[in-house]
Amino acid sequence: MKILVVDDDQLAGEMITAILHESGHQVVQTEDAMQALEVLSQQADIELILSDLNMPFISGLELYHELKEQGSTLPFILLTGDNPEPILAAEPGLNACLMKDFSMSDTLPGVIAVVMAAHR
Amino acid sequence: MNSNKQSLQEKIAQLSARFMSQLPARLETIQDQLQLLELEPDHRSEPNQLLLADVYRAFHGLSGTGRSFGLTDLAAIAMRAEALIRQLIESTDKIKPAHWSAEISGLLQQLEQYASCYTAPASNDNRADHDSISSAEALASDFKSAAPLVYICDDEPEQIDYLAHQLRCLGYQVEHFSQTSSFREAVMQQRPDAVIMDVLFPQGRTAGTDELARIKEATGQQLPAIVLSGSHSFESRLSAVRAGCSAYLTKPASAMELAAALDELIKDKQEEPYRILIVDDEPEVAEYHSLILENAGMVVHQIHNPTLIFEALDHLNPDLMLVDMYMPVCNGDELAALVRHIPEYVGLPIVFLSTETDVQKQFSAMQAGVEGFITKPVVPSELVATVMLRAERMRTLRGLIAKDSLTGLYNHSTTTEMLVSALAYAQRQKEPLVMVMIDLDKFKRVNDTYGHMAGDQVIVALARLLKHGLRSTDVVGRYGGEEFALVLKNISVEAAVCLLNSLREAFANVVFNAGQQQFTCTFSAGISAYPGYETAEALRLAADAALYRAKGQGRNQVIVSENEDA
Repeated sequence: MKILVVDDDQLAGEMITAILHESGHQVVQTEDAMQALEVLSQQADIELILSDLNMPFISGLELYHELKEQGSTLPFILLTGDNPEPILAAEPGLNACLMKDFSMSDTLPGVIAVVMAAHR
Repeated sequence: MNSNKQSLQEKIAQLSARFMSQLPARLETIQDQLQLLELEPDHRSEPNQLLLADVYRAFHGLSGTGRSFGLTDLAAIAMRAEALIRQLIESTDKIKPAHWSAEISGLLQQLEQYASCYTAPASNDNRADHDSISSAEALASDFKSAAPLVYICDDEPEQIDYLAHQLRCLGYQVEHFSQTSSFREAVMQQRPDAVIMDVLFPQGRTAGTDELARIKEATGQQLPAIVLSGSHSFESRLSAVRAGCSAYLTKPASAMELAAALDELIKDKQEEPYRILIVDDEPEVAEYHSLILENAGMVVHQIHNPTLIFEALDHLNPDLMLVDMYMPVCNGDELAALVRHIPEYVGLPIVFLSTETDVQKQFSAMQAGVEGFITKPVVPSELVATVMLRAERMRTLRGLIAKDSLTGLYNHSTTTEMLVSALAYAQRQKEPLVMVMIDLDKFKRVNDTYGHMAGDQVIVALARLLKHGLRSTDVVGRYGGEEFALVLKNISVEAAVCLLNSLREAFANVVFNAGQQQFTCTFSAGISAYPGYETAEALRLAADAALYRAKGQGRNQVIVSENEDA
């Protein structure tokens, strides 16, 4: 499956990419929401978006809202350095919100599987 | 499955190391931004909101990414700074509280301390990225990078210089550090394959092992390490165990002992992944099975048309073949029988994938020499276990049959087979191929004078040097008692001569111990090459003749077969 990763921190993005590659996914890595929107308009085979929350100019949540407004139905997983609970409570439309921490390499593949299963 | 996990862990460790090396620059940027904030004309004026937002995001990024890499201490400090900035952004009176500046620069200082603890000066970061390397240099670096990289950290230079020299002669790349700080910097720049660490340093009784433990905490990964220490104390040994070291040698240790311990440590890394060939006419199914096996760390090649089987076998040289039972051109059992007719693949394990639950039909397939059955739809863990088990058994069996028990090198008959297939490959690819015959000089005298134990030591040392000094694609075989054969792929005769001479000089410098006596030993080598000789037998005879000439001309030299001079 092809996944779009949005993270302004290049290293954090590469770490997510490494984890996704490990579970056999293809990854397109972008560093801001504008790039992400451009990629989405060009590559129709992307099936999932993983975005960091806190980014300059356009945050992950703003990107999410923009996509919903454009009518996108792609599942969207938000990654954050903070406690994900209040964000999920405020944005129930998000498919998942995940804490960025060292356990991501173990938890992320499972979360993706659950999100994709629920989405289909 | 472990090997796969390992590679992900390695990637993460590398990223983490890069994060650490970028830390000083990131902190410097924050420092500059904070200074701009301080410079604002009046303390009671409103701080620049844009600048504040930048600083906020910088700290937020440090805490988030830091936590992603498991650097919890760093993340915690950055989070406190982040909270402090947020207070200011959100406060209604927009005035910096009295102690704000002191607090924030205090936190920044803590971060800087944390960073300096683990990072190296970023001076020669990109030295490896030169585009225009001449091919000879590229080849030399090719061989060099194949040699295991060993870091020695010890503050007693006299002893270590000698050991390092001996280890280099045995084919290791050795870097020596006399301080734990310079060692740490080097580790952050490039991870070694193994570490030899002293325990006691001027700054602390277990400073060496403590450093290893700290690096493990920072990178989330254990460095493969052995301890070389002058101390027999319980405290020192315990610190080695706690730092995750896998062996504890006491000084004085010989280079041979160290080499044995190092190879034990490096061995696992060199284990190649299993190679699996999938034959299935349905690409989606093949892709699915391929993904499952690749996830378990295997190398998978798929073909969707059984008639391509020969190219695929040649190309991949698989450890196991996974075959769909029903295919349009020919059935799985026919394909299995066909493969069994090729002598090289008589032993290749073949596993069938089928919807067949009929025991009778399964039995008839067994008669065609099939090792196992997996019924579709496949349970991933079952597929991995079935394939892994059989591929592993195949490897072990091949290893027992193919390898010499003293040196772990390929034995005579395997070496010959590998020469034949390497030559066939070189002819197809129109690549050069070099064959080398090596013989230890006056080896009988070593055995007679110092005993067979000493003789074995010499043979193991040469085997080690050859293994470390050549690329993993090259073939190193023990051809007879003190005779070795090498098959070097895609290399010119000149480059081979140059390589062999450097190995010869290194080996001549290895000092062996037999009781109270010390001695050295040399070898002679004969080289032949394709094109020039067109069969394996001709290559071997020509290399042998050249070796004979090397012996006749006084030994300890490398001679190229005469036909090659033309």
